[in-house]
Parts: sequence; structure tokens; C-alpha cells
Amino acid sequence: MKRQENQTPYIQLEEIDKFFGITKALQKINLKIYAGEVIGLVGPNGAGKSTLMKILTGVLSPTAGEISISGKKMERYATKEAKEAGIACAYQDLSLCTNLGVYENFAMLNLSHGIFTRPGWRKDAQKQAKELLENYFPGNNIDVGKPVERLTLAERQIVEICKTLMTDNLKVLILDEPTSALSTDKAEQLHRVVQELSGRGIAVIYISHKLDEIRKVSDRIVLMRNGMNSGECDPDEITTADLVELLGGTGDRSKKREGPGEEIHKGETAARISGYTGKGLYEINMHVDKGEIVGISGLVGSGQTELLNLLFDSRKYPGREKKGVFVNATVSYVSGDREKEGVFHLWDIFDNTIVGNLDQVKKGLFLDKKKSENLAQTWYDKLKFKAEGIHSPIMSLSGGNQQKALIARGIASGAELIILNDPTAGVDIETKQEIYGLLDEAKRAGKAVILYSTEDSEIEICDRAYIMHEGEITEELTGDEITVPNIVRASFKEVKQEKASAEKKETVLNRILTSRVLLPVATMLIMILLNAYMNPRILSYMGVRMLVSSAVPLVFAALGQMFVVVAGDVDMGNGYSIALVNVLVGIVLTGNPLVGVVGLLIFIAAYALMGALIHVRNIPAIVVTLGAQFVWYGIALVIAPSPGGSCPEWLSAIYRFEFPVVPMPVILCAAAGVFCWFVLFRAKYGMVLRGIGNNPAAVERSGWSYLQAKVTNYALSGLMVVLAGTVYTAVCSGADANSSVSYCMLSIATVILGGCEMAGGIVAPGGVVCGGIAMSLITTVLTSFRVDSNYQTAVTGLILIGVLAIRLITHKKEVR
Amino acid sequence: MKKAMARYTFIWPLLGSVLLWIAISAVSGRFNAGQIFSSARLCTFALLLALGQMVVVTSGEGAIDLSQQYILTLAAYLSCDLMKYNIVLGLVAAVGAGALCGLVNGLVNIYLKVPAMITTLATGYIIFTIVLVISPGMTTLPNSDFVNFISLNVGGFSMLTVISIVTALLLGLLLYKTKYGKQLHAVGQKRVAAGYAGINTNRVVITAFTLGGALCGLSGTLCGAFNGGAFQDMGSTYFLPSIAAAFVGGTAASGGKSSVAGVCVGALMMYLLTTFLNAASLSVGMQRLIQGAVLVLILIASVSNDTKKK
Repeated sequence: MKRQENQTPYIQLEEIDKFFGITKALQKINLKIYAGEVIGLVGPNGAGKSTLMKILTGVLSPTAGEISISGKKMERYATKEAKEAGIACAYQDLSLCTNLGVYENFAMLNLSHGIFTRPGWRKDAQKQAKELLENYFPGNNIDVGKPVERLTLAERQIVEICKTLMTDNLKVLILDEPTSALSTDKAEQLHRVVQELSGRGIAVIYISHKLDEIRKVSDRIVLMRNGMNSGECDPDEITTADLVELLGGTGDRSKKREGPGEEIHKGETAARISGYTGKGLYEINMHVDKGEIVGISGLVGSGQTELLNLLFDSRKYPGREKKGVFVNATVSYVSGDREKEGVFHLWDIFDNTIVGNLDQVKKGLFLDKKKSENLAQTWYDKLKFKAEGIHSPIMSLSGGNQQKALIARGIASGAELIILNDPTAGVDIETKQEIYGLLDEAKRAGKAVILYSTEDSEIEICDRAYIMHEGEITEELTGDEITVPNIVRASFKEVKQEKASAEKKETVLNRILTSRVLLPVATMLIMILLNAYMNPRILSYMGVRMLVSSAVPLVFAALGQMFVVVAGDVDMGNGYSIALVNVLVGIVLTGNPLVGVVGLLIFIAAYALMGALIHVRNIPAIVVTLGAQFVWYGIALVIAPSPGGSCPEWLSAIYRFEFPVVPMPVILCAAAGVFCWFVLFRAKYGMVLRGIGNNPAAVERSGWSYLQAKVTNYALSGLMVVLAGTVYTAVCSGADANSSVSYCMLSIATVILGGCEMAGGIVAPGGVVCGGIAMSLITTVLTSFRVDSNYQTAVTGLILIGVLAIRLITHKKEVR
Repeated sequence: MKKAMARYTFIWPLLGSVLLWIAISAVSGRFNAGQIFSSARLCTFALLLALGQMVVVTSGEGAIDLSQQYILTLAAYLSCDLMKYNIVLGLVAAVGAGALCGLVNGLVNIYLKVPAMITTLATGYIIFTIVLVISPGMTTLPNSDFVNFISLNVGGFSMLTVISIVTALLLGLLLYKTKYGKQLHAVGQKRVAAGYAGINTNRVVITAFTLGGALCGLSGTLCGAFNGGAFQDMGSTYFLPSIAAAFVGGTAASGGKSSVAGVCVGALMMYLLTTFLNAASLSVGMQRLIQGAVLVLILIASVSNDTKKK
């Protein structure tokens, strides 16, 4: 929607400066955003686009300058104000919790933060999510109940964008490289969404390096360079080539082929694939010769990365053909995903460059400083880094300069075949040109280069190109045939082969087999059967009570461990913290109930504090809890230097209460499991508790406090430890600071057997309860089989490894 | 200043050591460098474990070796038993057994894809069982010649301290001057990136575990001789000080960053702390409490923000 004359801008940024120390990220930036307008924001990397957006969303505050909303000057402008003004941003790095369902990710954003919600909110949230997705991206077929981690990258991007669109009172939407993972048809759907939003009076800021796209969607193009405004233009009156020129590129790519006269010596084959099928690839036939640049293109996710990885992995068998893949060269790999696959963040440019081939800088056994520095310096000069020298930390560089270091690593390694996986993603035009130059030089030096790019026009610099679609190579283009229209045409070409539908129906059997609770439940049942086989009398009321009774403390201990594990941490000190509770209950509480209760409350608060400490100071939980265990142990020893005490009578009365039909210990276990399940999976805050174990940033962006959630997790864990210690006191009717140490290792083992992921986010309370019972029955079984008690610890160890090995096999599909 | 702190991570434990030494002197009423020498001697075993831990943790992705204390015990038994035939045989067998345990840890971690913490927890159980099963039939008294050797005094330094220093120097050379060291630090920062940089990440990680295990083996050998024999839970004493020394000394828990000097000073500091608590004649409970609290406080103070966990 074009704006009318004399309209007041919705938001106006005036003379914005942002300095980080001496670095001037933004200088005197002016930006007016009118309601309903689509602004295409373009600029080379390091132009300050992201910084400007962070100021607009209130994440950063400007060093100087004014921000006004609807003509009113804002005195204070932070995330809260930005949110109230209806500004939302779909982030380039996805901000979803992948362990939560699609609808939960949406719900986290728009549910009230109160403790209680009306029942049935989950159903409504699911319906809303479905409608929302269908509304903006018709025919997406996304199952909103599925955890995000099971979606494809493109589906996730759609969910991400829709999540942003959900912001109520949305006035300004920022899309940062929104189409990087989307196929052309989905990108077009997005463009329609942008048009529709604009029609509803919502302003859209569209950031992209894809200039054609920018020209197509925007009403006005704003250019930035070096942290300053560098003009505006009307998309209808400017060509892409002009834009490239304005941004600092030469814009004229036709210069690249220097007359047909020049002979480049074509070398032998560096790599060849004939008739390869597998790993998402079908009937691949291709080859790369030394002295040429071969492009790989096609729609994103058509198997290009798999192809590159196949070639890279085959370097281990040089000169031998394996399954139709033949590589006869040393290979290096340059990834465009700097964050995940590229830079070593603790190092400087120097180390990041030389690590690609350390053999060439060796002198005898040791690395030679001079040789390494010469090598790094040569490439530093050649690539015209914008940095203080080869010893500048890599993280102080802009994305483009980081990429230069990676390319230097790839080429400096001396490899004969250089594989580049989208090396120019998020790199500005100037750097891109330099990279093309380097590739050309490598080619002249007789190296083979494979370039996969998501930007079709980039393939034009190649000598030959393979275009892929759905895991097949649909066309090979050579020389002047390599044009964007040809690439696009081939990208959509029908594939020859009919493939088995990738999306397998989730059968009931399949779901049971991959269920996280299958293993603990099965183990528990087997243990019960074995026990019953050895001693049939245990299947009575009293028998079950006796068997399960000793398992209850472990069940609680493991549930406590689970609340820490869900946050991605681990509690190495719960063996001694249970002992402390044991002492508090057995000695203090028995003597003076009031002091005892206060003591236990302080204990829970101490656990919460520990969580806060781990979060605020960012120290690894494993170390803090290890240290804390000595604090627990020390206090316990001070209170009870030697074993003693007794169990309060009311406690043993409860514990020994003869419940009809089902014995008390079983009820306790079940109640504990249901409680934890409810907290984590039914209660609203459970989403947050699980979310922080997966993607804390996403939780925070949805408006929840990470600190608060972490403290809650630890407090809940503390509560479970208190229950574990209390029950333990009832079981052994006494207090001893030393006797419950083994619960630490056992609880970790139980949590794993129960189906939780140590990485955080994924837990299964039901599984943990069954796992706890199973673990404690193992001991009984071993005793009744007359296994030497010495071997019992080893059995626990073997079970641990066995469980994880089994899970590796059954859950292989989920591992990405 | 801040830069120097980040680079020379041993500054914090060094500061702590000096403070503790002053505190000890204040409690005992006289300044005495002897306490530093005796702490340096006593910290040998935890120090060797801590160096091993550092190597393992530096390989990244949450790698940690919780089986160290059991490896130490196993090595102590083996060395005591075999040294009655031959000292070198005992030493080689103990260190070799340690390396073998580490190798198994590495193999399970890499090829069965079991997280390192769980792997080593489990192998720790198994190694402990092995100790329980084989120990009744073994000689638990150390070889007297070997005991005499480690009790030697070299220019004022205990032989144990000399061994620590030599080991630390060799390890420093390996970690900071060789190809393997560079690769280990790369793998620890980002395994995927290291793989794409052409590094055989599996081999690097498994080697780290093996090296860590060998150091535990060496520690166990010395420990058995020093304590006048092996006993079943001898390793547990060194568990906390070694972990503490490793992290206080500047090992990044997320991997990719290590400091041999830092870990050495860190181990020394932990033993000065023990000496101080003993000198102040506190009850065991209070000692533990203070030890734990001090450790947590030091961590809060020393773990800088650039070593954030992922």
C-alpha cells in the first residue's frame, strides 16, 4: 500500500547513533515507517541493518537520537515499549522451542501469565494454531500437535513467521531474510501475506539479500552502508543491476568469462559419482575435473548438501571407488553456516586459518610458529580482511570477514578439491566479488571447485552446473547455458523416479515402538515377572508393598533430578542433599516440628538460589552442584556427626497406612508421577519449564523470564528432594549423613532409563516413575538370583549403556 | 587487565593460593614456606586427575570423566600387585590399564553415542566392580623400592612434585605446540566445524579419553605407593579436589579451552585450603561445608563470561 501525502509516520527514527566502544555501528540514521507500507531494507553485511532492527525492537538502546511513535516522542524505549507499539520481528535464526508442539509455541506467546488457565485451553490453542497457519499458508499440511523438531526447515520457517504474525496489535512486522529456507512457491505465499498485511495497515520491513525479491515486494527500498543511510529508491524505477551498483557491487557479471581464447588446462578427474542412490539421493551421475568450477543448484533442500557431504566423506578412500563414488584428490570443505559448521569462536583469524591443514606448518613433532604465521599472513593480505591483524579474535569480525577466514582455511589447506556449501550466505556484495575472484584463481591453479549456492545468479560464474530436484540431478548446464532462467526451469523439472512417500503414516504400532516410556515400562514389567518367578508370593498386597516400598525414595529422587535435567542441567549433589533432608527430618523435625519445617523450606529456597546462581553467572551446573554437595554434606554432618535420630511417628503412620486394594508405596509413586506430569505437560507454565531446556532465547522472546523458569525448575527439584529425603527417613527410620550417597548416580541412571534427554527439554515423568521402580527391583532380582553383591553396581552400569544403545537404534529416525 | 585475566586464567587460583597461605600463617602463627611445599606434594594425585579431566573436558560436547576415581583405585591395586615382580612392569601395567579404561570410555561415547557423563558413570560402576572382585586376591602393599623412589627429595622438591611438573610440562607441549593439541581445541569448540576442517574428530576425542585415563593410571600408581597400599575407596578423596582444580584453573566446561598452568595452581590451591581447614581445627562437617562453599564462590568469581556454556 502506498502512503498518502502528508501522513504522519507511525514510527520515526531520527538521527540515531549507536556506538559500541569506539565502533560506530550506526551514525545519524533516519527512518520513517508509515502504516501499511512495505519497506525493503538492503545493505551489505555490517551495514548496521541488524543493529537498527535491534533498536527498533527495543533490544538495544541508541547512543543518541530520537524515537517517536505516532508523532509522540518516546522518553523511554525498550522491549516493553516496542511490544506495546506492536513491533514484532521474525528472526533469521529461528526462535522456536523445537521440543514443544507447534501450537504450544504459539500459545506461549499469547497466553496470559497468570497461574491458572481455564481447562480446555490446549484444544482451543490447537484449533487457533491450525486456522492461523491455514489462513496465511494454505495447503501447508503442518500437524500443529507435532513437536517442531519433526518439521522440515521450510515448515519451521512458516511456523516462525506465523508466530510473529500472532502478535496482537501488530503494527510493524520485521522479516529478516524470511525466504532463506523457503521454496519459490512458499516464498510467493509469503509475498501475498505481506501484501495482505500491508492492506490492513501493517507496515512491513523486509530485509533480504535477494534483490529481485526486494524489488517485487516493497513499496520503497531503503539502502544502508557502513552504518549510515545511503539513499532510498522506488522499486519500480530501479533495476537489480542498478541496485547492485548502489550497494557496491559491479553489477556486471558478464565480464567474468574472459574471451574464449584463454585456455585453462583441464586436468584429470578429481571426483566422480556414477549411479549412486541413498541418503536422500537418487541415481546421481556427476564428475568434477581439476581446473574447473562446478556449480550445484536447485530448490533448497533438494539433496545438494547431502551430495556435498557424500563427496567430502569419500575423501577417506582416495583413489578407490566405493558404491559408485570415486574421489581422487585431497578435499576441503567451506560451509556457509558459519555459526554451526564454520568458525572456532574462541580463536583468532590465525588459528582459524591454519587449522585446515596443520601438517604443512609442522616442523618435526611440533608446529612451527613462523611457518604458520607466514601462511596466515599471506592469506590475510590476499583476502583484504577488515581487522587489526591475524591475531584479531574471529568473533570481533563481521560475518563477511569471518567467511573470508573460512575460505582462506579451505584454500590454504592446499586441497585439490574445494567444496563450498553456500559460502556467500549473508555476505555483502563486495566480499562476494572477492570470493568469486579467489575461486577463479584456485581454478587457474588447477584445483577443482564445487560451489553450491542458494542464489541462482551466483551459479553463473561456474563452468558447468548440475541442477537438482528432489534428490536427483535434473539437468547439467555448461558455459553460456548457465543462466538464471535455465536454472529455475531445471529446478522445477519433473523427476523421473517415483519415490516412496517420505512421510510415513504413524501407525499405532510405530508409535508404541518409538515411545519414550516403552523401555522403562517394559523393564519394570520384566523385573516384576522375574521377581514373581523367583518368589510367587510377592504378587500379593504385602509383597507388592514390600517390593515397591524401597523404590519410593529413588522415584522421588529421580523426579527431582528430572526437573533439573529438563532445564538442560544435571544435579550431581542430590545424593548428599537427600542425606541433608534425611537428617533434617530424622533429627530436627522429630525434635522440633516448627524448626524442622522452616529448615526444609530454607532448603528448597537454597535449591532455588542454586538455580539462580547457575543462571546468572552462567556456570556449568555440573560443577556448581558438585561443589554444593559438600555444603549439603557439611551441614548434615554438623547436625548429625554420627547416625541416629528417628522417624516422626506421624510420618511412619502415613507410610505404613494400609490403603485398600493398592498399597501405599504404589499410590505415592503414581501420585508423584501424575503431579510431575501435570506440572510439566498440562499446566501452562510447564511449557516454559520445558522450553528453557531447548531454546531459552525463544522463551524470553515470548515474554517469559528465563531466570524465573530456571529457579522454578530448581525449586521443584528441591521439593522432590525433600519428599525423597522424607520418604527415605520413613523407609530406614533414622538419620545418617552418609547413607544415601548412591541416589545421585542411581537417579541419573533412572532419569535416562525413564526416557529423558540429558540435553534438556525432553522428559517423561511416567517413564521416570517406572524406571525408578525397575531400577530398584533389579537389585532384588540379582539378590534372588544369588548374584554376588559385588556385581550389582556393574549391572547398573551395563544397563545404563545398554539403554542408551537401544535408544540409539529405536530413535535413529528422530536424530537429525 | 581484563584481557590478561581472560588469557592467564591461573591468576585467580594463584591469588587464592596466596590468600590461603597468608590465612594458614595467621592461624598457625608463623610464616612457613613448608606448607606450600607439602601442599604441592599432597596435591600430586588430584593434580594428575585434574590434568586428565582437563584434557577430556577440552574435547567438548559436555565430555567429562566421572570414572577417574575408580580408574585411580584400579591402577593402585594393579601397580601394588605387579610391582612385586618388577617395578617397571607395575608402572606400565597400571598406566596402561588406565589408558585402556579411557579408551573404552571414548569408544562407548563416540560409537554408541552415549553422552560422556553417562558413559563414564556407567564404566565407573563397572571398573569399581572389577576392583571389588579382583582386590581380595591381590597384594595391597606397595613395593618398598618404589616407595623409596617417590620419597626422594630433589633439591628441596619432593619427587612427587618433580613428577607433577614434568608431566605438566610434557602435557603443555602436547596441548599447545603440536598438531594434536590444536585439533583437540578445535574439536572442543565445535565438533561439526572440526569435521569439515578435515579433522578426524572421533580419533581426537577417543585419544583425549585415553590420555585422561593414562593420567589417572599414573596418579593411582603414585597414590598407592604414597599411601602405603591400595584400598577400595581410595579414589573418592580426590574426586572433588580434582574436578575443582580442573575448572578453577580455567578449563572451559563447554570445551575448547584449557590451561595446564591454571590447573596446576588450582590443585595447589585446593590443598592449601585443606591445610588451612585442618590448621583451623574445625570439625569434619564444617570443613566440608567451607570447602564446598569456597569452591562455589571461586567458581562464581573466576568463570568469566567468555566461557559460556552452550
